[in-house]
Amino acid sequence: MNLVYGLFVGIVMGALIQRVGASSPRMILAALRLEDLTIIKFMATTIAVGTVVAYTMNLGMPMHFDVKPTYVIGVALGGLIFGAGFAIGGYCPGTCVVGIAEGRKDGWMAVLGGVVGASVFTLVYSLIEAPLIKPMAYGKITWADVLHLPTIAVAVVMAAILLTAVRLLPTRRTPA
Amino acid sequence: MTNPSAALPAAEQHTAPSPPRWAMLGALFGFLSAASIALFGPIGVSGTYPRFVGAVLRAITPEYAAANPYLVKMGTVVTPETMLVIGLLIGGFLSSRIFAGAKAPAVDRVHARETTDARRYVDAFVGGFLILFGARLAGGCTSGHIISGMTQLAVSSTIFAAAVFAGGIGTAKLITAWRA
Repeated sequence: MNLVYGLFVGIVMGALIQRVGASSPRMILAALRLEDLTIIKFMATTIAVGTVVAYTMNLGMPMHFDVKPTYVIGVALGGLIFGAGFAIGGYCPGTCVVGIAEGRKDGWMAVLGGVVGASVFTLVYSLIEAPLIKPMAYGKITWADVLHLPTIAVAVVMAAILLTAVRLLPTRRTPA
Repeated sequence: MTNPSAALPAAEQHTAPSPPRWAMLGALFGFLSAASIALFGPIGVSGTYPRFVGAVLRAITPEYAAANPYLVKMGTVVTPETMLVIGLLIGGFLSSRIFAGAKAPAVDRVHARETTDARRYVDAFVGGFLILFGARLAGGCTSGHIISGMTQLAVSSTIFAAAVFAGGIGTAKLITAWRA
């Protein structure tokens, strides 16, 4: 049944990514050049609504939360590498798949590069595990754990911070 | 909570000016990501790449696949997340066909240095390589770490998101400066 749920969530997610234009490398680069923050505001809104809804639901029903572990060096370095690739190609691992679906031929190259990148990571994993993933590891911690506050309270604060930033920042900058 | 009109559903927008489209789509995506956590687990994409590599290697060279610690750790390709990636193809295709709007270009050159389609393909390949290598090192990508992770208030995902935008904005600036 979970496979069916996964397929359903993917179909809706693919349509949303396509509609907002996140599958367009041009939109991604406009965001990273700070010329058009549409995609960043879309993501911030998603997180703000998602966190409040998920932790409100959690008050009344069991949820399948799965928090990723914190290991500072690997997560930060991985993020920097990801960011560089994001700016060079203009795709993320999901948006290139949506790009293929809407007829973008360069999406195939991004997926191919991704398969090669994942393969290389598979080869070097045992070498980088000790220096990058084992040190400064604090387990699956959330801000609610760190702050010793109820998750719903932290979710509301997170949403408020994100939505305030969304409200205050201009969406588009007219090029000088 | 302070809830700007940007995040309210369409039905509650009678009096306020209509919210921008990205806000409506973002709110819908927020409900979808919460629904996913309720149904089976947080959304994610990048783990599917090594699971796919693992499935191929298990077919070609089962001894190697069984001995590789990362492929063993990632496990079978038959997961809801793989189905989600297949769903992205279906949803992206249907949406691009059903809704009116500018058709996606077959090749969109986004950097000044991409003077030919071939150079655009090289950038897409190199970008694809780096996002998957980086995502696997960090344990997730835009969907698994930034969207799902921050939705779950994860410390790791906040670090990842900050690093992605620092690296992304910095690299975008470097590429532009390089040509100028």
